[in-house]
Amino acid sequence: MKVIFSGVTKVFEPDIAALLDVSFKIEQGEFVFVIGATGSGKSTLLRLMTREILPTKGVVEIGDVNLRKMRKADIPYYRRDVGLVAQDFKLIPSLTVFENIAFVMEAMSMPRSVVEDRAKEVINRVGLWRRRHMKPAQLSGGEQQRVSIARALANSPSLFIADEPTGNLDFHTAADVMKILFDINSAGATVIMSTHNQSIVNAARQRVLELDEGKLVRDEQRGGYTV
Amino acid sequence: MTAFKYVLRDTWRLITHHWVLGLLTLITAGVMLWILGVTTLFSLNLENLLSKLESELVVQAYLKRDNTIDVEKITAEIKTLPGVANVKVFSPSDSLAKLQEKMGSQSRALDMLGDNPIPWNFEIHVNNAVDVEPLVENLQEMPEVDDVVYAGMVVRRISALSSVSSRAALVMFVLSVIITALVVYNTIHISLYSRRDEIGIMYLVGATRAYIATPFVLEGTLLALLGALLAGGGIIAAYFPGTVLLQNSLSFLSSSLITDRNIIIRFCLLLAGFGATLGWVCSYLIVTRFINAITKPL
Repeated sequence: MKVIFSGVTKVFEPDIAALLDVSFKIEQGEFVFVIGATGSGKSTLLRLMTREILPTKGVVEIGDVNLRKMRKADIPYYRRDVGLVAQDFKLIPSLTVFENIAFVMEAMSMPRSVVEDRAKEVINRVGLWRRRHMKPAQLSGGEQQRVSIARALANSPSLFIADEPTGNLDFHTAADVMKILFDINSAGATVIMSTHNQSIVNAARQRVLELDEGKLVRDEQRGGYTV
Repeated sequence: MTAFKYVLRDTWRLITHHWVLGLLTLITAGVMLWILGVTTLFSLNLENLLSKLESELVVQAYLKRDNTIDVEKITAEIKTLPGVANVKVFSPSDSLAKLQEKMGSQSRALDMLGDNPIPWNFEIHVNNAVDVEPLVENLQEMPEVDDVVYAGMVVRRISALSSVSSRAALVMFVLSVIITALVVYNTIHISLYSRRDEIGIMYLVGATRAYIATPFVLEGTLLALLGALLAGGGIIAAYFPGTVLLQNSLSFLSSSLITDRNIIIRFCLLLAGFGATLGWVCSYLIVTRFINAITKPL
């Protein structure tokens, strides 16, 4: 899925400018890191892509659709094609690991057998099969992060948005997560990931978008964490 | 069909996962609907009592002693007057016989009157007490009518009481419905408020508004229906012993109270239907409001 930001500014009431005149284009199948200090606008940038927020100025186009003009009724269908791993996991607290992952497929009215097979596959992929009957509150932060990743994988999305997906993970688990993200990318999905993890960015040598106080200060192909 | 199964499963999940809130909603709905049911039954019984009293009100009209008057024509005319429920016609001889029967052993005193002094007369029953006075006026305007007799003060009092009680019953009913709706609405509101984050997450991961809303609406409807059935059971359990107690202590109420078991059971079923509708409307309004607020992009 192609992502285009054209002159995007986002100001939160009363006058907090989170993004200022940001423009870039991400082609289908790219892997992009979004980096920057805390409060630089990374999460705002990603939330604009999921249409949780709308730009104050400018246009966000995803897969040739201007998100501002998207009909309310089409939003769920759009989101089914976007895998989201949020910083705060966004898991449903009353559901188990299995139920959280199954939910996204059930919402699409997939048959039970397909839901079960696919849920089993993605839970195994993040190594949480033995935890499948547990609720989010019974899991560590890292485990919740993996559940969030598994849920994002369930629908095989063509755009994968991950807001600091390795933030709560140890080195080995973070490496596993990165392997999953690269696999998804190899299969053709666009992956956009915000991170503070220098070693991951430096090792991956993918495109880097750097934000500083809401402004896009660097857009570098095969970049590192620092110039 | 698959989606429907998931929705039903999710409804059950909502009820079981949040059973304390569910129980609170059910009890609150039950108590409020019980109060509504009792208030309505009280009003219905009061109306019943007054309409019984009204149906016993009689207006007596006496014709002039004139042999040329066409009694059949007058009878037909009276029947067409507003508020008339039925008309009984008494000839002079019928009336005299009736009077003699009433007087019993003293009826010989009537012989002293010579010719039968009683003219053709009518016993007119009305639908409502408020119809009496206009009817009397209409009768008095008829040239063939000599005199009209009715219990003026009683009529006025019953008429006033009936009008006040009808208004009071309506106000009580509307107030009970509004209070019940508000309490049920707020209870479901609290229950949903505690799950607002869940609703937001569901929408974020691609569930449609209808898919999210339906289990919540079904849960609200089901809990309100169960509450109403509970209220209905409570009414049946309390109403019949209550009416027996009233009939024993206030015997004049015996024939005026609604004691038909079928009527009360039907009333409770109606209450259950009302409860379910109320639950459906309240939860639909709240869920729609919640989803609108949550899904509105910043």
